[in-house]
Amino acid sequence: MDFADFAARAEEIEAESADLEITALVRDLFEESNDDLPIVARFVQGRVFPAWDSTTLDIGPNLCYEAIARAAGPNVTAADVEDRLAETGEIGEVAASYEFGGQRGLASFAGGGRDGLTVSEVDRSLRDLAAAEGSGSRDRKLDVLFGLFNRSSPAEARYLARLVLSEMRIGVGEGTVRDAIAEAFDAPVAAVERALQVSNDYGRVAELAREEGEAGLEGVQLEIGRPVQAMLAQAGTVGDALEAWGTVAVETKYDGARVQVHYDGEAVSVFSRNMEDVTDALPEIVEFVEENVGPPAILDGEVVAVEPREEGDGVRPLPFQEVLRRFRRKHDVGRMRGEVTLWLHAFDCLHADGEDLLEAPLTERYERLTEVLDGGVSKLTLTDDSEEIAAVEAAALEDGHEGIMLKNPESEYTPGRRGKNWLKRKPDVETLDLVVTGAEWGEGRRAKFLGTFLLSARTESGYETIGKVATGITDEKLAELTGLLEPEIEAQDGKDVTIRPSVVFEVGYEEIQRSPTYSSGYALRFPRFVAVREDKDPDDADTLERVERLAGSSNAT
Amino acid sequence: MFKAIVSASTLRDALDSVSVLVDECKIRLNEDELAIRAVDPANVGMVDLALDAAAFESYEADGGVIGVNLSRLEDIAGMANAGDLVHLELDEETRKLHIRIDGLSYTLALIDPDSIRQEPDIPDLDLPATIVLEGNQLDRGIKAADMVSDHIALRVDEDEEAFFIEAEGDTDDVDLELGRDDLIDLAAGPANSLFSLDYLKDMNKAIPGDAEVTVELGEEFPVKLHYEIAEGMGQVTYMLAPRIQSD
Repeated sequence: MDFADFAARAEEIEAESADLEITALVRDLFEESNDDLPIVARFVQGRVFPAWDSTTLDIGPNLCYEAIARAAGPNVTAADVEDRLAETGEIGEVAASYEFGGQRGLASFAGGGRDGLTVSEVDRSLRDLAAAEGSGSRDRKLDVLFGLFNRSSPAEARYLARLVLSEMRIGVGEGTVRDAIAEAFDAPVAAVERALQVSNDYGRVAELAREEGEAGLEGVQLEIGRPVQAMLAQAGTVGDALEAWGTVAVETKYDGARVQVHYDGEAVSVFSRNMEDVTDALPEIVEFVEENVGPPAILDGEVVAVEPREEGDGVRPLPFQEVLRRFRRKHDVGRMRGEVTLWLHAFDCLHADGEDLLEAPLTERYERLTEVLDGGVSKLTLTDDSEEIAAVEAAALEDGHEGIMLKNPESEYTPGRRGKNWLKRKPDVETLDLVVTGAEWGEGRRAKFLGTFLLSARTESGYETIGKVATGITDEKLAELTGLLEPEIEAQDGKDVTIRPSVVFEVGYEEIQRSPTYSSGYALRFPRFVAVREDKDPDDADTLERVERLAGSSNAT
Repeated sequence: MFKAIVSASTLRDALDSVSVLVDECKIRLNEDELAIRAVDPANVGMVDLALDAAAFESYEADGGVIGVNLSRLEDIAGMANAGDLVHLELDEETRKLHIRIDGLSYTLALIDPDSIRQEPDIPDLDLPATIVLEGNQLDRGIKAADMVSDHIALRVDEDEEAFFIEAEGDTDDVDLELGRDDLIDLAAGPANSLFSLDYLKDMNKAIPGDAEVTVELGEEFPVKLHYEIAEGMGQVTYMLAPRIQSD
């Protein structure tokens, strides 16, 4: 396909605003792309390389301006190009505003035929350009780019400039390409979608859909060494999670950098969340995986910076900034390794020993993870009990981590999707200082401790109950709280005790809801014990009026 | 098979002539000469280098082709003093080039020649004008032109029997006139072409000031620049495509 044809199509697509029409135009383009289909499927999205490939063109705007200036000559400078850009605001527009082609090529004197660019030629040139490295590479890149612009018509130049700067912006997103592939080659959208998720290669998927149809798409497998997009989480609450799934898989949320680890049985590659290859920056992760992973596997996890605890054993996590000092580092890796120690916490397994696991439920993937990886597996707790979730969270926070993740135990691994199956628990927006007015004795091992505490908000005339908090923290803390509250017990009925208002708890919560359960008429959703407010008397505790105000404002959102 | 000994200055002159245009190139290790032909990425400038076996202290080759990273090889050659001899030997098995310079030994990994840009068909040009001048004169014209423009016109006036190097800037102009007496030789003919200084400056960098440069020129045609290195035992020819002259 001539690049001029591609440019003409891109122009048509850009002029269209209706999604369905855009998809139809992209479909038509794909149908007519022939051998250039893989390239065209990438070009329409402003890509030269498939998404799994971390190779970049690495062309800064200035280099592009310079190339345009040189092709535009005589005596046009990069500064002139920048001036025009300041006027029009769009590089494609600027490139199209010049008359290129002033510089002739040698080929046109060798009796060689046509001098027009083809799509495949543009692709090849840009790939050559990306491969340029070393001292003279900037000049070489400039030469290649100049050569391309020099042979471009204004329409071609418009899309070449955008392609080069990865700003195609013709209204074609990933979804459009997916739908256009499905329409063009009569394949189910779901099959195309799945193949895209697994391969991260729009060009290859387009070609497969055309050559082998649905069966070909279904045959697409993960490839060790080619990253897929990480599954993402959205913010959510414990209440949402329990409501939606019944049983919730809970794990620590680490304050680190997401990584995808690929191990082919010999070599390890580590990719960032953006599928960038960060293997060389993380030698100890590579060594850890070499030593502790058995069969070939693809793992999802988080790399965390740690330091030894001052007292006791083990390590404590350091803030995310510390990980950044190591990530993507190209120089001084050895020295920095001495300064910042990294640990891998793996929490998912996408592939194990020849088997793709994307479609397996989380619980099965986790089981495979524990089979392939010896140590470094993040703990997964399955529970339908909000108190147990609170306990996991309390423990995670106490260990210095960021919080907890809530996952649907039955869910598949959906690369790149910010779905509802993974939730980051929203941090508490506010805390309330509430008075302890009752409690329950624990059971079994905790029979000697007060376990569940009844909380009340202050009113002008006394106290109204608003919720219960079961701390879900260490026995040590329970003992301490029991010691504090036992002298204040006023009455006892079975396990339930009434406590004289004297102690104030700071309590976190997800939401305040209207509820007939408590005398205040409100209930706290997912209440958690934060601390004893030793500095506060019951008279200083929060009032029901404040609770009402908070409930009103949160309902408004 | 390739095994050669060459003076560092000859090697450097040869490499320089090519490296001003490309980073990587194919080197043909012919029986009687070492030859390089390369074109820049935009297919605008070309270099053709031949270094006779006689330019070497010793030379044995049987027609192989190797691909090299020129800046790497130049760096190594740069480690030698002008009078040093550079020993080159190709290891056929490992596809590496062993280089020895006065006790220093360097093993250079080679590039797959097939991965290097194809050499173009050379336009077979019969250019009507030929100007022979000193490298210094050409350098002077190019430097002056560079002060005002990014383009340079090369022109022969048949009536005046003179060669003109001209440049037009946005505001200033430069004009260098070299008459028959200033030149080493002139075969006048209709010749007037415009060239990008970017390329010509690069080529000029490699041309020694005292070299005798033969310029072949036509109307809106590529220019050929020819000069010798290694005391006449090496030939370098550049070819540069013109820009379209807008009026």
